[in-house]
Amino acid sequence: MATMNRRDFLRNSAIASSATAVACTWDPKVPVENVLPYVHQDDDVLPGVAQYFATTCTACASACGMVVRVKEGRAIHVSGNPDNPSAVGLCTRGHMVLTETYNPDRFAGPLKAGQPATWDDTLAGLQQAVTQARTDGKAVAWLGQYRTGSLRRLLDELGAGIGLRRVHWDALGVETLLAASRIAFNKDVLPTYDLAEARTIVSFGMDFLSTSVDAMHMIDGWSKARDPKQGAFVARYVAFEPRVSVTSSQADNFLPPTPGTEALVAMALARIVHDKVKYSGPASALVSGVDVAAAVQASGISQEKLEQVAGWITEQPSVVLPGGHANASVDGTALAVATLLINEYAGNIGRSVVFGRELDLGPVNSYADVKALLEDARAGRVGVLFVDGVNPVYNLPIGDNVAEALAAVGTVAHFASGPNDSIVGAAIVLPTGGGLEDWGDAEVIAGLHSMQQPTMNPAQDTRSVGDVLLALGKVLVPAAAAATEVPAPAATEAAPALADGASPAVPAAAPAVVAPTRAGFDAADFGAYVKARWEREIFPLSGATDFTRFWVETLQRGGFFQDATKVRADLVLTTAPAIAGIAAGTEPALVIFPSPHLGDGRHANQPWAQELPDPLSTYSWTSWVEIAPATAKKLGLGESDKVKIKTDAGEIEVGYFASPGVPENVVAVNLGNGHEQMGRYGTGRGANPVRLLVSATDPVSGALAYYGTRATVSRAAGASDVFAAVGNIDQDGRPIANTVTVDEAVAKLEGEAGSIVHLHSIPLDERLVSQGITDMYPEPQHPTYRFGMAIDTNVCNGCMACVVACNLENNIPFIGPDQTRKSRFMSWIRMDRFWEGEGEHQDVRHMPSLCQHCAHAPCEGVCPVLATYHNLDGLNAMIYNRCVGTRYCANNCPYTARRFNFHTWQWPESMHLMLNPDVSTREMGVMEKCTFCVQRIRAAKDSWRDVGQTVPDQALQKLTACASACPSGAITFGNAKDAESTVAKKWESPRAYTLLGELNTKPGIRYLARARFSDGAVSDAGGHGSAPANHGAAPAHHEEG
Amino acid sequence: MKGPTYSSVNRDVLAPLFTPNAAYMGALTAALAALAWGGYCWAQQLVHGLGVAGYRPPVFWGVYITTFVFWVGIGHAGTLISAVLFLTRSRWRTGIYRAAEAMTIFAVMTAALFPAIHVGRAWYAYFLFPYPNQRQLWVNFKSPLMWDVFAVSTYFTVSTVFFFIGLVPDMAAVRDSTRGYTQKLYAVMCLGWRGTDRQWRHYMAAYGFFAALATPLVLSVHSVVSWDFAMAQTPGWHSTIFPPYFVAGAIFSGCAMVITLMLPLTKIFKLEDYIHVWHFEHLAKLCLFTGGILTYAYGTEYFIAWYSDNIYEWGTFVDRVVGNYWWVFATMVFCNCLAPLPWYFKKVRTSYLWLFVISILINVGMWFERYNIIASSLSHSFDPAGWVYYVPTYIEWGIMLGSFGWFFTWFLLFVKIMPSVAIAEVKEMMRPPLKSDEEVAAK
Repeated sequence: MATMNRRDFLRNSAIASSATAVACTWDPKVPVENVLPYVHQDDDVLPGVAQYFATTCTACASACGMVVRVKEGRAIHVSGNPDNPSAVGLCTRGHMVLTETYNPDRFAGPLKAGQPATWDDTLAGLQQAVTQARTDGKAVAWLGQYRTGSLRRLLDELGAGIGLRRVHWDALGVETLLAASRIAFNKDVLPTYDLAEARTIVSFGMDFLSTSVDAMHMIDGWSKARDPKQGAFVARYVAFEPRVSVTSSQADNFLPPTPGTEALVAMALARIVHDKVKYSGPASALVSGVDVAAAVQASGISQEKLEQVAGWITEQPSVVLPGGHANASVDGTALAVATLLINEYAGNIGRSVVFGRELDLGPVNSYADVKALLEDARAGRVGVLFVDGVNPVYNLPIGDNVAEALAAVGTVAHFASGPNDSIVGAAIVLPTGGGLEDWGDAEVIAGLHSMQQPTMNPAQDTRSVGDVLLALGKVLVPAAAAATEVPAPAATEAAPALADGASPAVPAAAPAVVAPTRAGFDAADFGAYVKARWEREIFPLSGATDFTRFWVETLQRGGFFQDATKVRADLVLTTAPAIAGIAAGTEPALVIFPSPHLGDGRHANQPWAQELPDPLSTYSWTSWVEIAPATAKKLGLGESDKVKIKTDAGEIEVGYFASPGVPENVVAVNLGNGHEQMGRYGTGRGANPVRLLVSATDPVSGALAYYGTRATVSRAAGASDVFAAVGNIDQDGRPIANTVTVDEAVAKLEGEAGSIVHLHSIPLDERLVSQGITDMYPEPQHPTYRFGMAIDTNVCNGCMACVVACNLENNIPFIGPDQTRKSRFMSWIRMDRFWEGEGEHQDVRHMPSLCQHCAHAPCEGVCPVLATYHNLDGLNAMIYNRCVGTRYCANNCPYTARRFNFHTWQWPESMHLMLNPDVSTREMGVMEKCTFCVQRIRAAKDSWRDVGQTVPDQALQKLTACASACPSGAITFGNAKDAESTVAKKWESPRAYTLLGELNTKPGIRYLARARFSDGAVSDAGGHGSAPANHGAAPAHHEEG
Repeated sequence: MKGPTYSSVNRDVLAPLFTPNAAYMGALTAALAALAWGGYCWAQQLVHGLGVAGYRPPVFWGVYITTFVFWVGIGHAGTLISAVLFLTRSRWRTGIYRAAEAMTIFAVMTAALFPAIHVGRAWYAYFLFPYPNQRQLWVNFKSPLMWDVFAVSTYFTVSTVFFFIGLVPDMAAVRDSTRGYTQKLYAVMCLGWRGTDRQWRHYMAAYGFFAALATPLVLSVHSVVSWDFAMAQTPGWHSTIFPPYFVAGAIFSGCAMVITLMLPLTKIFKLEDYIHVWHFEHLAKLCLFTGGILTYAYGTEYFIAWYSDNIYEWGTFVDRVVGNYWWVFATMVFCNCLAPLPWYFKKVRTSYLWLFVISILINVGMWFERYNIIASSLSHSFDPAGWVYYVPTYIEWGIMLGSFGWFFTWFLLFVKIMPSVAIAEVKEMMRPPLKSDEEVAAK
């Protein structure tokens, strides 16, 4: 080194130090990001500030109100629209509107036979095809989902113009209920069921807490009926259905009749109720021929039980709900009519079974109509077929040969946003923008005119269904309809049409139906068409004078909502329903039940819909069969064995769930998976249960019988792919999800001091307690806020809307089937399911389990690097950048609420656009968990601090994503330090308890125990001294003081 | 000639330093191969994340922490034998203490790898040290993991220093038998030892002090490691019995490991003259004693879990026996409680074959004891919704194998570089030459 001079030394050290500096700063895990300025900034876009659009959910036929949160031009979150009376929260499927928009398999533009095409060519080709078909005397047909509002009107107009043969069908449709409504009330609309006031709810299979139309509305009523605060009673729920579903898991009395005897039971019940109330109305004769003893004999439900149920029904007010898919047998309509009869005898018609807010889903066709259309198609009588949002290849029985029928149609054009099983061969794809990009509206519930507005620019080259129809109409209708006068809107519909004005829901002020004019097709686009229709038809209802103002308010509110009064309709039934009974047999009867997350299968390509565990089996990403535990035992099934289900139509092999809620004479398979072509997430998972159906229909309504096919079950070779997200079937005698009896709950109402929850607790040393020493460390300081939550398990049915809302809000990744099988779920909320009861008293307890934000958090003390700590707001905060990943915190969390990033999870291209910019994504090796949506808390605190105030309770109650999503309002958030806040009051409820409070973790969440009727209640908590001492509550008092 | 002489001690003990035989080279190759495989597995884990391991939440700790505790436990016997037995003047330690000490150091070095292997972001493992920084980030001294960092590093430092102090006179002996470059190296390591009276006097005093300093660490380090579990409130972990129970287990497994290592060493390098069967017999007795403590501790755990009437605690303990992990529990009980019992018979504990077989069983059993504590407790925690069954993957087994490769590589290098029996102390024990029986007896 003697040769090195000063310059060389400086040069070398400069190189060495800069190289070192570079080496230290370069981290391969941190992606290179570029910050780009807005070149043309929209006037109303303020970077970092969210915009909210009130619109309508398009995930199913219910068309609930929805608020979309948009940041920098991208929709990033959806939740229920509080201004829209149709729903309080938003179900799991509603959230899929968002993932559908960003789905990587979404069509980028029109396709013809799988090849990209331009809109101009595609539309020109379609116009030509329609003209050609009409020239050839072939039908131009439409097979699509239910459509209401402007699109229904546009279809009416186009249909009149070009002679469209329309079939509106939904795999989870209402044709049975509608048929019953027609028979019983001579009405083409469905009554609504008012649960809020009911003392007794008897359901014959309606999935009213999950997948049935109007479920969100009914959940609201249900949670009111179950709340012990609402007068001194809790509604009793009696379920007559073949299997425990998400809905009937909440039942107090679960009574499965022998398969095929449901309608008999309903008629017997009608008879008993009739006799009990000494009914003397015109419908009296209808049950004179009912043989109660025979029904008892056939159904296996004792006469005493029926008498008891009838007794509950006669205690006003009650409500009897008609069958849903669980009871969609060949007697579906007969059963639905029978339930209306019970309601009539019990005096519920006009009280809890009401019109005025009736459901009008537009033209409704049955499965039989679809079959007829396909028959024509197969015979070559259909020239052009538009398929709008339905998937007949998947949803129809294999015997219907749907693919063959579609192939025989000259031109098939699909309105779809992503691939499905029916888009095959030379089909044309007309990609739609989906619920977040297109204009539209909906009027499912009478008087609720719900607006659907674009919330972001189309991410792909798509057009709405309405725009395509307008484009077709512009060209086709002048030529076709020039000579004809303007037709009545429903004249060409295949099904008995419904006249809009006939509904008594719309008050007298409702104008006569405005005849559509040719001018409708002159609208520049569908948005203009919608606006014109609103100006013409809905604006006059408002009584306002300035349409521009009305329009702006409508867009802000998400629609125009009229008040409604209960309207009574008279029963016009003259003959008792004919009961056929499902095919007799010794084999178990098959039930096909809709998945709460995948619906009829349309959401199968949404990864979150796949990954959310089923609330009962807690399986995800596949199909399974639910069999009785006794059946599993009989077949000698091991945990990972596969089961073969065989019917006359075919067979499938799936994993099984030994459900305590399935009798031995029933097997149940979930609908939604088993797609042959459904994009990257939906293809080839599980099996399609519709393949097991033999096309049996309900002769009255023409509905497909999802229930009643006889099936044999046997053990199959190979290992199944099912995995339970929840480890144990029950809670093993531990006081996790607790119940109280209804008697206790109503004896001590909210606000009264003292707990009624019986908890296992280890007594503290009295000498210390008397001196006020219960802790080693002092209470953490909470100067202004102690954010907390109350979760009412009494109204939680485990629907998982909170889970998916949280996932989307907090950029929680989905991890795919392989990782879920290793239990590595990342969702911050785990829906615990404890199946405590059996037989009549099933007692399935659902409980959202998340970070409890303990004041004395076990996780905080053990982190060696202080990556998690308790902050002044009462939050258990997590510093991702500091986390080394020792996972000690997760081991020490008694609630197992922490989630670890085992990999750097990836969002595929385009799905990453959905990420919430307010929440950082996490890399591998980092722990994460619920933050109580700290980003929302910060935003709320900041904006209220600007006006010099603390955040008021009203702004906090539904602040978190889970609370805002919960359809039953089970989750309340707020500042527990404020004694006047809703959450603080709920914390003092007699039903409140802290989870594992004996550990003295002082959680920031309190659960409200479920109220159960004492005839079915099992005692909680083993161990010594079940003292009704609310352990967690006491220390919190001194925190407040 | 009967028995060793001063010169034969030097020759026999130092022989392994000069001529690596085929058995040695084979063993070294195997150790390096295992190490390489472990390295490959770790590389996989660093690139893809901990997901390549079999973790199944809420089981967030598994094979790595099990193996960590296993190696820390192994690291106990060395210091116990060298320091505690030195202070209590148990003369049987002389033949074995050097190798046992080396084993301790390498075991702690192996254990020290695991926190880095185990954490999610190994590249930030240095966060665990309280180093001054401008961001004013500090560590959490409330966390048992932090105590672990200090306990293990202190233990490692002290045992290493103690080890090198003990080596000083022997290094001088090596220096005198080598030439050239190596001689210079050994000359540095023996710190200029000349063997004068004055040096011996100071040396023995220093050795005694270090022995006294190291002794409490024997108890502290595994107590602290046990607090990783005992301080958590997870059922099956949250128990005040853990520190003594862990220390006993550590000595138990450490002594067994000494037997496992020293038996082949004695045989391969023909050191039977210096390491006698009664050395092993003493170790076996120590194992019997600590194994008894362990068995008692197992019983106490169950009794307390039952007597406390704590449903969570009792649930975990029942699950260990009848749940998914029953085979782990059975292995543990068989290897730790039953397998050492034949050592009560002198014939068994003086048979090289039985000594070796039972010591291996104890090693296996002690690994499964930690696995039992960690995996089964986490798999059966408070909330039954989170009950799972954890199965490790080949990555975890590979890294565990790699840890044995790492340990044995060091150990084999040690026997090649340093005298594995303490020459000076063996000579102390020998009958001095040219002394009559009367003179020896008078001394």
